[in-house]
Amino acid sequence: MKKIIINGVVVLFAVWFFQSGVRPPKESETDFQVTAFGQLPVKYEGREKPIDTLARNFLTILSDKQSVYHEGERVSATQWFLDNISGRPEALDYQVFRVENMDVLSSLGLEERKRFRYSFREILPRIGNLDAASRSAYAKNEKQRDLYDKQVIKVANKFYLYQNVMSSFEDPTAIPSEQLMSTAQRYMSLGKYSIPLAVPPNAGNSKWRPLMSALLANHPAMKSMGNVGPPDAMAVKFGVMLSAYRDGDVARFNDTLNEYNASLQRENPAVLEKMPFETFYNRLGAFMKSAQLYLLVFVLSCFGWLARKRGPISAGLALMICAFIPHTFAIIARVFLSGYPPVTNLYSSAIFIGWAAVLAGIVLELVYRKAEGMGNLVGGIAGFTTLLVAHFLAGDGDTMEQMRAVLDTRFWLATHVITVTLGYMATFVAGTIGVFYILAGLLTRRVDEATRDNMFRMMYGTACFALLLSFVGTVLGGLWADDSWGRFWGWDPKENGALLIVIWNAIMLHAKYGKMVGSRGFAVMAVTGNIVTAWSWFGVNQLSVGLHSYGFTSSATFWLLVFVASQLVVIFAGLIPVKVWRSGR
Amino acid sequence: MLKKITNFFLSLKLTITLLALSMVLVFAGTLAQVDKGIWTVVDQYFRCLIAWIDLPVFFPRGWDVPNIRIPFPGGFLIGWLLVVNLITVHWASFKIQVNGARRIAGILVLLLGVLVTMGVMFGWGTASVAATDSDAFWRVFLRLGRGTLAAVVFYIACVLLYRKRAGMVLLHGGILFLMVGEFMTAMYAVEARMTIKEGETVNYIDHSQQLEIAFTEVSNPDRDTVTVLPQRSLKEGAVISADQLPFDVKVNRYFVNSNRPRPLDSVPESARRGYPAYEGYGARLYMAELPEVSGATGAMNAPAVDVELVDRSTGESRGRYLLSLWMYPNFVNRSWDMPTRINLGGKQYEVYLRFRREYLTSPSGSPFSIQLLDFVHEKYEGTQMPKDFASQILLVNEGDDVNRELRIWMNNPLRYARRTFYQSGYLPDDSGTVLQVVRNDSWMIPYLACMIVFVGMAAQFIQSLRRYQRSDA
Repeated sequence: MKKIIINGVVVLFAVWFFQSGVRPPKESETDFQVTAFGQLPVKYEGREKPIDTLARNFLTILSDKQSVYHEGERVSATQWFLDNISGRPEALDYQVFRVENMDVLSSLGLEERKRFRYSFREILPRIGNLDAASRSAYAKNEKQRDLYDKQVIKVANKFYLYQNVMSSFEDPTAIPSEQLMSTAQRYMSLGKYSIPLAVPPNAGNSKWRPLMSALLANHPAMKSMGNVGPPDAMAVKFGVMLSAYRDGDVARFNDTLNEYNASLQRENPAVLEKMPFETFYNRLGAFMKSAQLYLLVFVLSCFGWLARKRGPISAGLALMICAFIPHTFAIIARVFLSGYPPVTNLYSSAIFIGWAAVLAGIVLELVYRKAEGMGNLVGGIAGFTTLLVAHFLAGDGDTMEQMRAVLDTRFWLATHVITVTLGYMATFVAGTIGVFYILAGLLTRRVDEATRDNMFRMMYGTACFALLLSFVGTVLGGLWADDSWGRFWGWDPKENGALLIVIWNAIMLHAKYGKMVGSRGFAVMAVTGNIVTAWSWFGVNQLSVGLHSYGFTSSATFWLLVFVASQLVVIFAGLIPVKVWRSGR
Repeated sequence: MLKKITNFFLSLKLTITLLALSMVLVFAGTLAQVDKGIWTVVDQYFRCLIAWIDLPVFFPRGWDVPNIRIPFPGGFLIGWLLVVNLITVHWASFKIQVNGARRIAGILVLLLGVLVTMGVMFGWGTASVAATDSDAFWRVFLRLGRGTLAAVVFYIACVLLYRKRAGMVLLHGGILFLMVGEFMTAMYAVEARMTIKEGETVNYIDHSQQLEIAFTEVSNPDRDTVTVLPQRSLKEGAVISADQLPFDVKVNRYFVNSNRPRPLDSVPESARRGYPAYEGYGARLYMAELPEVSGATGAMNAPAVDVELVDRSTGESRGRYLLSLWMYPNFVNRSWDMPTRINLGGKQYEVYLRFRREYLTSPSGSPFSIQLLDFVHEKYEGTQMPKDFASQILLVNEGDDVNRELRIWMNNPLRYARRTFYQSGYLPDDSGTVLQVVRNDSWMIPYLACMIVFVGMAAQFIQSLRRYQRSDA
């Protein structure tokens, strides 16, 4: 009875926790319908998405956040975006450009400030310096660029992106005729970059087009030239919306928005289909919320496990399942929205590894009756860390990107990538149990003989799975390569990384079969497996060689080194003689 | 003594040592790819008995680490030792445990398994022109299915012969098979390229790992005579006499890699000073030796050769020429074509240093050709990101009565005449295609081995899980 009540409370708590922020902010009749505007479709980087997503990703690239604090108030990404593209003067005052490097700041004539975020207006006076510095940095060979050059390029890229996106929402209807040619040329060259295409295919036009080009055809002078068709009605409405918003004309904005939606519904209803769902997905923010709950699970279960109390452990399990459901939902939502299998890039691999580790934890708790909370501990900490890693990986823009030609095959993404990722997961799970074994054994009296045997069994079982999955996954990767360019094994760095995991798991199992290690030695080896896996998962990408290198970030190198160092500490702790262990005495 | 050797190979410690050594090797071979080309690394670390590990690969490239080369067991050595280790261990500790009818049945099923494996390897029951019109899914699924069939037959044989150890034996057999397959690939697989412009028909492939000098005599109006000097003859200092040529060819220098030709008057005076007096393009263009390219850049080496044509009777020089791969149109994706024209003894020649050319023939010996009808380079809307590359081709083999229009695109190759044609690249302005052409008769082994290991491992783990559950209950 008591258990049912506790579980009920846990479920209610989780529901309350997840629902917050899901409902869109209330907008009355007299307000701009910003939320509805955020659901309008736009095509960017090859994918149709709501403006809400575009705005969030764009803001994340500029400022590492999905909303802006402006004069003490939280402004949504969509509203910030709308303020900018409509050309409201106050848009220039949003502090969204994150510039951390001191030298770059001083070249822009700016003072260091908390959170390092600056407005366009603050940067504008010296933007020429930035442009010149980035040009000279670009002119250098990649290997000769120093830290300043890299930082300059990073900051300048934010500005180029900002300017390109802003230009693609320009309304050229009012420009004087003599500037028409130069504007048209500027738009042509912009079209070579990846810019948001805001005007969907409609009755008058079969392709996605950027707003500014579509509106240029509407220019009175262009009409007189006679070589352009009738103006794009959708584009015109979009332009009207923006100018109404700029002028503060609520009624006209809302009416045009409704008309726009209505004619889109009539002419191309397919593009609207997924938009409300994606904005819901965005607002839910399931991954960050699940991460917080997983941390809570971990803390609860730590207490329960160390004190040998069932209560916190079973509450932790209930909470873990509650956090797991939205986590699962969000992964399925990504598959539905992007049309690709769940793992396509580093970000999604982190989310998926976390998901699978939590699932492994739940299964361990439910199936293995001697798990005693170990499943909670592993699931909680793995779920939390991987989702946190994913959060930091999301800074590059859209996490549901389209796949380049050779990677664009759902079959191999669904088989090779999933299996090999599950192999990473299983190795990490075994390694995490190893970490608990060593730390708890050294520092507490919790690891008695029975616990030792249980943990050994769990590590061994997951290591078996890890070997099976990583072997099959690696070979499937080779088969993909054979099927794509006729080379089963090319010693590509990522292949080698996966191979190292396979060999390491094989070494672990052979060491056990040969009775060369006991439970403590196996734990040390399992922790070493963490290093091997982390290197294969992240380290290989830092080499920037080969087809698989999709995520180079130097801060990732730093955190990878921190992780490796921490695991080395645990390994050395594990090598301390058992006599010294508190559990050993 | 023999006992000692057997004991050495019998130990699991040897297995672990070898596996650990292989990890170090793989790790070093991965890091080395930051500086060196992938093929150099493969030869230096993996496809050799003794690998030479460069010490600096383990450190950040900015550090000044002395360039010491450490000898280390190479890929072949570790591989073969593991094979011997594996076989000895299984021979000694996994003896066939049954007798009589069961033993005979087991051996018969084992033979059946071998037969099925052969069938899968040699593609019994597959089309001779295999191109796919749909997604990769069914094709690969079917191949893995064939592999599973062989694996299951082998598993039954192992159960009959080894009882509880069936999974263990099977999975190690699969590993062995995989290693043998990779060894065969390393030894016998051949990779080549085929460059075709839209509308053009091509009946040869370029072996991009080997070169040759081709002298084409064009003075005869109704036929061209081609004389080829293979790469192995292009040693520095060698004097090559070919019967069909009225002169000898002396090799002065061989460059592993050379720069893209640029006008001689654009280079500084100091570089021009020692530059030999060449005939042909070398008289106007500057080409010098460059260090080998690194794998990280994805670039290819452009070898060049400095030759002198020598009068056979008098030994007098008839001109010194610099032939670079840069002048061969298929190397520069048909951006230009620079044959060196030579007029000697009343005969006109066009000379190239080019990839070794092989004319395409089917197993029956009849020649075939590929015409590129159309090349499609699809991008994601509003981006420069490629979505798909596809070549619409016409495959013609009159001798075998093949005349088929086919599509080769990313992840969907054409398999024909024991070769596989993959979409690999394209010419500037999407005016043509580059196909990777691979001949590898052991290409099905990984599919088979993968499923054999999977079945064996799964059986083994399920068995130990069951045993554990029973002991736990």
